[in-house]
Amino acid sequence: MNILSVCAVAVVSAALILTVRKYSAEQAIMVSVGAGVVILLCVIKEVLESVSAVSDMLSAAGIKAEYIVILLKSLGICFVTEFTCDTVSEAGMPSLSSNVLLAGKVLVLVTAMPLFQDIFATVTSLLSTSS
Amino acid sequence: MDVDMIFKMAAIGIIVAILNQLLIRSGREEQALLTTIAGLVVALMMIITQISDLFSTIKTTFGL
Repeated sequence: MNILSVCAVAVVSAALILTVRKYSAEQAIMVSVGAGVVILLCVIKEVLESVSAVSDMLSAAGIKAEYIVILLKSLGICFVTEFTCDTVSEAGMPSLSSNVLLAGKVLVLVTAMPLFQDIFATVTSLLSTSS
Repeated sequence: MDVDMIFKMAAIGIIVAILNQLLIRSGREEQALLTTIAGLVVALMMIITQISDLFSTIKTTFGL
């Protein structure tokens, strides 16, 4: 996986999209989504190895496994939300795009809620021991 | 990297646009509309497999 090939694909697809857009806008959106998916698929395959390495490092540092799962889940939600949000807003529907953004925020909050509960429980126990 | 798909979809777009213009010039507006919709459906079917591939890869990578 090479950054030069990603850049080349991006530039060539931008030229193609500009050419197609003159004739039909909806086909241009298809081409742009396709280019985005192709580039992201390449990148995600590289991420797969790093994710296991990062989770190994975090578990070696003594962080609980369920926290790592929550972290990775939030990261995945952010990836999908960002991709969808950019695609939809490029298709010319900013309100739908901000709805997707809001859904992503809420889902990240829901996913991270056990962490907040743990922090809250720790603070509560600290306060009860100090008083 | 599946670059061929991008070229294929751009080619579909250009061919459909040319067919559309030809059919409109020869006075067959309904067929032009049908051609546009068919091109759109073909492009959508191509892209949906790719999107499902991307989303399932993300799902397995991040354990969603």
